[in-house]
Amino acid sequence: MSGKWQEARLAREGHAQGSCPTGTVLLLTFARRGEENAIRVALQLLASEFPGAQVVALATPVSLPVLRALGVEDSIIVEPGRSGRQVLKDASRRRPRAAAIVYSDGAGAHLKLELAALFSGAPRTVRCVAGEWWDVIGRLRLLWMVAGKSLLSLGCLVAGMKVSGIAWCCLRVAQVAAGGARARRP
Amino acid sequence: MQATLIIVNYNGRELLARSLPAALAAAHRAGDHEVVVADDGSSDDSAELVVYHHPEAKLLALRHRGFGAACNTAVAAAETGAVVLLNSDVVLQPDALPPLLDALARPHVFAVGCKFIGPDGSLADAVGNRTSGEWHRGLLHLQHETEPDRLRETCPQLYANGGGMACWRDKWQALGGFDDLYQPFYWEDVDLGYRAWGRGWRVLYEPASVAVHEQGSTIGRLHRLREIELTSARNAVLFAWKNLLDPRLFRRMMAAQSRWAADDVLIGGLPPRTRALWAAVGRLRAAARRRRQEQRERTVSDPEILTRARGEVT
Repeated sequence: MSGKWQEARLAREGHAQGSCPTGTVLLLTFARRGEENAIRVALQLLASEFPGAQVVALATPVSLPVLRALGVEDSIIVEPGRSGRQVLKDASRRRPRAAAIVYSDGAGAHLKLELAALFSGAPRTVRCVAGEWWDVIGRLRLLWMVAGKSLLSLGCLVAGMKVSGIAWCCLRVAQVAAGGARARRP
Repeated sequence: MQATLIIVNYNGRELLARSLPAALAAAHRAGDHEVVVADDGSSDDSAELVVYHHPEAKLLALRHRGFGAACNTAVAAAETGAVVLLNSDVVLQPDALPPLLDALARPHVFAVGCKFIGPDGSLADAVGNRTSGEWHRGLLHLQHETEPDRLRETCPQLYANGGGMACWRDKWQALGGFDDLYQPFYWEDVDLGYRAWGRGWRVLYEPASVAVHEQGSTIGRLHRLREIELTSARNAVLFAWKNLLDPRLFRRMMAAQSRWAADDVLIGGLPPRTRALWAAVGRLRAAARRRRQEQRERTVSDPEILTRARGEVT
């Protein structure tokens, strides 16, 4: 879906530039090393599509300085000891107008961020692959995507468990055959 | 102590033109140690460079079988008790040998690694200085010290970088040298160091022995970046399968590895762990055989190896 096409659709829905000057937009990114430019592009996009809206990021203590350096002032901190549920509650309390997901390598993964976008209660989700494309999707489409990827993730988990199970058996047998796991341990 | 300096070369004529004279100078200065170029079946004119321009070095012409196999053959052919392994992209500094061999003479030492610096003299990108490791989510995560203040004294380290290390030939042979499980490259030196610690020997870091390393200039010339990343990730898995004998850590490793494929969907943008796992499955039987051997020989537990390699008292 192209940016121009989306612009027209946003205009129809009253979300085009100038129509909604306030509110909150949730920024969802892993903010990995090398993704700074992608985040910068996403922030520019949000500034043009949701003028005046305050950008709030879900950030870890590691990603926080990166996001601050890029001009994201407000963040909900995700840290050990704080459950995902609490974090999402905080996010939905802000009643975000949209959630923006920054994908680092195509839109094939990032289920975690899509789940966060879904449970934050944002009516729209901006998907942004820096330098390539962006689009805006509604909750229903996001739900479908999350369902599909959850199934895929489950399949991968089963496949991974099978491979690891085979490896575990093979390696464990080798170890036991040589005198057991506790043989010659100091 | 007499030592044989072994430079392993594969199609690295230009690198060899810099590293061989430096090795010869260092060997001559430290007392006429022998210098051998183990040529791993190069198709460039590396052999001519040795024969015509540096006849004082000995040429060991080998069939191309990879870095590890070339090292093993060259060490087996050496006639001295100590050997110094050098990559063709490592330029030994003139005074590098005496401190390296002095450290090797300490009790229970298997190997000693050089201090590696980049071509600009910096430590920032240098790999192999005061190495240590930590088991995390099913893999051994390697650390390389880059802080100059922590690189001033001879100290234990997890492994000596195969690009510039001295070791005892008899202990090398007892360990079986570099394991061909990791062919064509990476992790064989980590494996060797880890197994040496596992037998109760020590691996040291010697900062007075300086070598300039053009990191990645050997492998980077011959392989694509994606291929290098995948091989390194696959060998990290194979290393864990072969060496991680501690039952608790082993269970954690297998649990973590079973989640990798799902994590790729959940998070994305991760290192190629899942593909590495699939690639490692092809060598599972070989890894299991090595694991059996390791179980028989090991006298030090996995957590203890890492503690000792960090130089911490237990």
